[in-house]
Amino acid sequence: MNEAARHFEMPSDKMAIHRKAVRLEKVTLAYFATAVAVVFAVLGSSQALKAAWIEDLLAFLPPIAFLIAARVRTREPDARFPWGYHRAVSIGYLFAALGLLLLGAYILLESAMKLATAEHPSIGAIELFGQPLWLGWLMLAALAYTGLPPVWLGRRKLVYAAELHDKVLYADAEMNKADWMTAGAAALGIVGIGVGLWWADSVAALIISVSIVRDGWKNMKAATGDLMDERATRYDSNEPHPLIEEMRSLLAGLPWIDEARVRVREQGHVLQVEAFVKPADGSCTLEHLDDARQRLMDLDWKVHDVVLAPVKVLPGEHGEAHD
Amino acid sequence: MRLPALLIACCLLGAGCAIPTDPDGTLDRVRGGVMRVGMTEADPWAQMSDGRRSGVEVELVQRFAAGLDARIEWTDGSEEELFEELDEGRLDLVIGGITGRSPWKTKGAFTRPYATILSDQGKKEKHVMAARLGENDFLTELDFFLQRREGEIGERLEREGELRAQQSGAP
Repeated sequence: MNEAARHFEMPSDKMAIHRKAVRLEKVTLAYFATAVAVVFAVLGSSQALKAAWIEDLLAFLPPIAFLIAARVRTREPDARFPWGYHRAVSIGYLFAALGLLLLGAYILLESAMKLATAEHPSIGAIELFGQPLWLGWLMLAALAYTGLPPVWLGRRKLVYAAELHDKVLYADAEMNKADWMTAGAAALGIVGIGVGLWWADSVAALIISVSIVRDGWKNMKAATGDLMDERATRYDSNEPHPLIEEMRSLLAGLPWIDEARVRVREQGHVLQVEAFVKPADGSCTLEHLDDARQRLMDLDWKVHDVVLAPVKVLPGEHGEAHD
Repeated sequence: MRLPALLIACCLLGAGCAIPTDPDGTLDRVRGGVMRVGMTEADPWAQMSDGRRSGVEVELVQRFAAGLDARIEWTDGSEEELFEELDEGRLDLVIGGITGRSPWKTKGAFTRPYATILSDQGKKEKHVMAARLGENDFLTELDFFLQRREGEIGERLEREGELRAQQSGAP
């Protein structure tokens, strides 16, 4: 194991948050297990309810990816995986996003077909405690149960995702937060069926599926980007990670360095840095390099694996990828 | 957030207690009018001999129609013909030993099982009737009717089963 890739990964306050996140994901799994069972029990021929149910099923993927990655990612680098196992997180993320995209597309097509063939959804009745009850009412109750708690789960996860720089957690939080919209649209579809608007159900399912596809596409793009060694981004993938510029200007600000360029990629939670520096008078000592590397590592816990290379010409100047 | 809630409220108020509603108004038309029922012969559920209809399902449909003050207009045919007509809205109800595993599921709205019996192969058969797709008020009315008689139907089927077993056991 090289010293550059230190085993110690998160500072202790982040570890505490990570433990909380793990607990929250376990709660999520337990909750969705009940939610899926409840909705399945009342699942009739409503297309919107089916869409909501599938979305609940999908909600298992990110927590599972997160929990598996949580076990694998801290393994120490070995001869076979010299950069360690952090990317397990990125791979988990890709799977979660792909699942989202595929199932969204499936519901989209099926709802469109049902709408095109004008299939009328049928919801009958059951007897409950000796009272006749239209199943639609039960469906609405089930939707309330699956729609509201995830909003709270999602908000908590969003906080943790930002703290931990964890994209799986972020994707999961986004999905949970969107759950009330899914449940709301499905509820409108059921009420629509109730008042005799047969198309309301398929339209609601279409709206839900479009939102699922959009989520899936966005996360797919971010996950593929990570695996393609896209320049590191913030946890929500919206902008370049601010540490990139911070590290470059730190290096460029050192008296013995003339110019600097950094390439940063993500390995799950942590960043892997390749920095090229052009010494001011054409040479530098090992002490210089070691000091610069230490300064970079001290910037942030996410700066995990730093390779520092003194060069005559910065690589970017010849059109290679840089920062 | 406010708009959907408002929409739901309007729908509920507008419809009063009339949830669910039939998009094609089947129940309103049948009540005091004509109920168009398709029947395929299936012993012991629906039989026909000398122009007389009998069987568990025939009796149930007759009682259901009587409760709605409706006259029954019968149509005979194969399941394929009947389900096609049901799907096109030329029938209100199809009967004849249909079970929950029927491949015609997409052409008709099945009631909840009102009787579960063991078939000769020892498989559980859940017997249902098929209303027109999406006519949820009619379907709900039928579901209520059948479920209130579930116990009674079960007892009757058991008696008939025993009778049959005696007959075949003592030739």
